Amino acid sequence: MKLSKFFTTLAITVLLIFLLDKGWTIGNISIPPLGKFLDPFHGFWQNLEPTGFEGKKQLVIPGLKEPVSVIYDSILIPHIFAKNNDDLYLAQGYITALHRLWQMEFQTHAAAGRLSEIVASDALLDRDRRQRRLGMVFGAEQALQSMDANPAIIKYTEGINRFIETLDYNTLPFEYKLLNYRPEPWTNLKCALLLKTMAQTLNMGDKDIEMTNAWQIFGKEMVDVLYPDNEDPGDPIVEKQGGWNFKPISLDPLPLAIPDELINIKKGPAEDPTIGSNNWAVSGSKTYTGSPMLAGDPHLQLSLPSIWYAIQLNAPGINTMGASLPGAPGIIIGFNDSIAWSITNAQRDLVDWYKITFDGQKRDKYLLDGGWVGTRKVVEEIKVRGGNSFYDTVFYTHWGPVAYDRNFHAESSLNGYAFRWIAHEPSEEIVAFHKLNRAKNYAEYMDALNSFSTPAQNFVFASVSGDIAMRVQGKFPVRRKEEGKFVLDGSKSSHGWQAYIPNNHNISEKNPERSFVSSANQYPVDKSYPYYITSTSYEAYRNRRINQVLRQSQNITFRDMMELQNDNFNLKAEESLPLFLSFVDSSQLNPQEKEAYRILRSWDFYNHANAIGASYFEGWWNNLMPLLWDEMQNENVSLARPTSFNTIKLLKERPEFSFFDIQRTKEKENAGDIIRKAFILGVKDIEQWKTSNATLPIWAEYKDSFISHLLPPLTALSIPVKTGGNLGIVNAHSRTHGPSWRMVVSLEPSGIKCWATFPGGQSGNPGSAHYSNMLSRWERGDYFSLLFLKTPDDQLSKVYYTTQLNPTSE
Amino acid sequence: MRFPTQMLAIIILGFLLELFLPWWSVAIAAFIGGLFLNTRHNFFAGLLAIGLLWMVKSLLIDLSTDSGLADKVARIFMLHNKAFLLLVTFIISGLVGGFASMSGGSLRSARK
Repeated sequence: MKLSKFFTTLAITVLLIFLLDKGWTIGNISIPPLGKFLDPFHGFWQNLEPTGFEGKKQLVIPGLKEPVSVIYDSILIPHIFAKNNDDLYLAQGYITALHRLWQMEFQTHAAAGRLSEIVASDALLDRDRRQRRLGMVFGAEQALQSMDANPAIIKYTEGINRFIETLDYNTLPFEYKLLNYRPEPWTNLKCALLLKTMAQTLNMGDKDIEMTNAWQIFGKEMVDVLYPDNEDPGDPIVEKQGGWNFKPISLDPLPLAIPDELINIKKGPAEDPTIGSNNWAVSGSKTYTGSPMLAGDPHLQLSLPSIWYAIQLNAPGINTMGASLPGAPGIIIGFNDSIAWSITNAQRDLVDWYKITFDGQKRDKYLLDGGWVGTRKVVEEIKVRGGNSFYDTVFYTHWGPVAYDRNFHAESSLNGYAFRWIAHEPSEEIVAFHKLNRAKNYAEYMDALNSFSTPAQNFVFASVSGDIAMRVQGKFPVRRKEEGKFVLDGSKSSHGWQAYIPNNHNISEKNPERSFVSSANQYPVDKSYPYYITSTSYEAYRNRRINQVLRQSQNITFRDMMELQNDNFNLKAEESLPLFLSFVDSSQLNPQEKEAYRILRSWDFYNHANAIGASYFEGWWNNLMPLLWDEMQNENVSLARPTSFNTIKLLKERPEFSFFDIQRTKEKENAGDIIRKAFILGVKDIEQWKTSNATLPIWAEYKDSFISHLLPPLTALSIPVKTGGNLGIVNAHSRTHGPSWRMVVSLEPSGIKCWATFPGGQSGNPGSAHYSNMLSRWERGDYFSLLFLKTPDDQLSKVYYTTQLNPTSE
Repeated sequence: MRFPTQMLAIIILGFLLELFLPWWSVAIAAFIGGLFLNTRHNFFAGLLAIGLLWMVKSLLIDLSTDSGLADKVARIFMLHNKAFLLLVTFIISGLVGGFASMSGGSLRSARK
């Protein structure tokens, strides 16, 4: 009897331990191993850092040649001092992984189409398949051909792996415990994948399918009216009419040939094309100190852990600081003792879709120049957590992978569409940043950029010696007029990219007369530039506002630069609201509409956090666009809406434009009718919002921005922020996208000064005080003055703590 | 006096074993406590000892930090706040401790 009690209770104990030591999936909710996870001695509690926590003071890292000092300042920015370059990058890899390992690895899994290994779901499997079919790993492997022997990558990878090897369950980053998996060894390929992720975010936008459909449905003339290549709002990045002194490469003319069919493909959700970045530099002649100043402000979808990791790198031949991308060696945006640089995305069509004609169901061959060429089949194995692997065959043509075919999102078509992307080519961005981090002057900056192909960026530059410059750098195919705007016929090799624009033909300028350079993702150049340029969209507002302010400014201080980065002026509203209001007859309004009308009339066009007019304008605008462009909401065919700028232009110039008529109504509407309808609907939306939120519709509340965790379903980890700004405003903070790293650099001969701010913090550990400690200052538009050290014991009073990294003793 | 002694012994042993072994080592501590110091209430001794060990340790960690992660984890588990998370921690660890201690105790007859 006693024995049976023993066995029963023992069995219950063992069963409990078994159940609590194992992760479970119930429906689509996954539960971590509860015993393991909740154990305060090993589980997630161990990731909660005590207040004032300092990391280890001494570490032994195999592979180091000499000791390395890592000095942390008050906001946990590491300042790495190494005695040679190999140790520098090894230490950068180790220290970055120490703070950001989960984020780094998760992003590379996402890039490579491997998220199903972590969380099984249909949506993620679809996403994984798409990543594979877009050839993300293929692109990274191509890039690696020229980077595999790069010592910076090798050492950086080594450093990350030395850190991974130290981990046990106690020290595992929080998200691994929550999702119940472990990190795998880092590889050089992962560094390349991270750069491809950036390229995917910034250089994968295209509207080829939408434009082709628009041509079929609306006709070519209408395409030109709705989607002009250059909307010409003024203020391109570089304006030097007739100043392009080179002989451009020209291609034999070829008539445009587009597939004679409507294309129904549901492409992946593209990055919001209207979000972009700002950068500018002003000459000493315009600044208070007499030295140049530079401002950098890349906008991205904001997430936690923070996108950027701030760091200073010092070794013989290099002393640089700024924003690094966790997972890639070096500094991406920053400064050194002599120069500063920053980037914005160069809007350019770098994607083409080629319609492929296969030989039959087996798709062994495809038609090319009258003959049949073999396809290369790649079987992608997608491992699914807790289930069987999913196998997907991807057909590669000489154009690239056939991303969409009858097996994937193109069910209605027998043919496939091959994906040609600039980031599938070998490239050596790491070399470019390696040189840029060490560049001393304009000539070395120009030389460094020659190695940079993708994602194409507008590189702003300023030097202590007094130069400012801008260069639109990337690898750009030479295009015939309108080539690449539509889907192309993949059976003729003449439709391929025949040549690339030589680096010295790329758009650039140095020390222009106006004493400043700037870029904000707008159309890049004046009309005398000899190459054809097209893109999904161009910024039309931020660029003009920035230039307007810079043109007027003299004796600029760093505070003026910060003020401009935080500028909330809504140029779009200024150019459209007076017209909109002129269509509203105030005597015909109900009380709520009257109030809205009054608020809008007295609004000063600033999207400040507390502005109510901004919310009413937004509500109006958001109802206007779908009413105006109801023709583009076609369930079966992908179509694109015209841009805000072009919409306003058409409203002003062609009020009776046929598209303004709402298709489903009997009446014939014109611009004024639609604007009035949208006003009434917009006010209704705001009234509804007021009822459900029980507060005034001030802009920050109405916009309702938040910074989500890199895993969006973890809403408990996302943080709401209350800010002004919006798309198309210099302070380009929309609901989800915005300033990911703001930097102002003053290039004074007595020493470079830098102020920076970013949403989040240095640590990627949600249990650390440094996870989001910089957020409130960023939210207010305030900056941190960065500590830029000359030597390890330069400013001891500002040191938080120091970690000594030691090689293994002999 | 035996009950508090038994409980305290399990707490101390559990604490020590956790320093070297994974989370389930608390079951060993409770089992030994039940075996060598058994009382009439082995189950409750194990439950309270291990439950308290985990709950108090969690609470101490939480008091030492201002990261706010405990509340967030509670919300991930669809609990209202960290108090409920601590309660869940107490119950889970307590059950393991309780049954382990009961199992150890059942090998010997209770002493008066």
